[in-house]
Amino acid sequence: MRIRLCLLALLALVGLPTLAVAQLTVRADRNLQFGIVIKGVQKYVPPNDPVNSGEFEFTATLGNIVRFQFTLPTNLNGPAGARMPISFGTTDGIAQGTGPTSVPVTFNPNGTPSFTLVSSNRILVFIGGRVTPAANQTSGAYTAPITFTVTIIG
Amino acid sequence: MHNLTKVAALMGLALGVTATAAAQNNATINATAVVQQPIVVSAARALDFGNVFPGVAATIGVAAASSGEFSVTGQASTAANMTFVLPTNLVNGGNNLPIGTWTGYWNQANNASAGGTAFTPSAGSTGMTFSGTGNAWVFVGATVTPAVAQVAGNYTGTVQMTVTY
Repeated sequence: MRIRLCLLALLALVGLPTLAVAQLTVRADRNLQFGIVIKGVQKYVPPNDPVNSGEFEFTATLGNIVRFQFTLPTNLNGPAGARMPISFGTTDGIAQGTGPTSVPVTFNPNGTPSFTLVSSNRILVFIGGRVTPAANQTSGAYTAPITFTVTIIG
Repeated sequence: MHNLTKVAALMGLALGVTATAAAQNNATINATAVVQQPIVVSAARALDFGNVFPGVAATIGVAAASSGEFSVTGQASTAANMTFVLPTNLVNGGNNLPIGTWTGYWNQANNASAGGTAFTPSAGSTGMTFSGTGNAWVFVGATVTPAVAQVAGNYTGTVQMTVTY
């Protein structure tokens, strides 16, 4: 009987087994907008374009190690099945913490870079890109999705 | 002792299972673009005052046969903006002939007197819209004011028009 009481007391002290799920939210803030594109003329939007670059943000916990992964299109889809090539360069990603000492970090959105959150738990992520319309590109509106995935790996 | 061992083992288990699970989340934006025809501006006709006389101002209206004319092609039924770089003088060597009072008229048809819109080229950016076939025409007039002692000769200047979406 004494042993059973001891066991109950220990369980009361240590609590039930717990599984802590890390906090992570990801949000889409702004489309990557090329605006008007002239047939036969490439157009580039840099990631630091304050109006036209694509923008995400995520919130995790200070000290987390996070991995980025983008699902990037190779074409934008236009009228009647028309397609327009889009590409992303090795410096077309920028991650910018929102803390007072945060500095922007350039990364390759084609890869899966990892970062440690050291100065801010809220990070803005910008992406640029380049479209290459053909000289006979069909006129009209083109679009394609860009998905940004954040994984806490440590 | 046996029971105490069980308690200790259970306690260890309870303490050991506290862990952090990997978390993953995502969001999606769109990449967007609007493809349009390039704008091509062509100089169709010079603004020509012909013979002018010292002390007598001469005006060429937009509908005159010698008004300046540009033809423009672009994306059908799409808005664009016109801007001009205009001279203040026509020049003959070191002699100037003042030019001003600019007038303009843009149209979706090649017609300087009906169906279009009057505007003032010197007023800054002016909106226009390409026709359903992607055409527009722009006509320009002005007034030259020769001095009484204006030196005789050929005077020229450049009128530059830029059209952008």
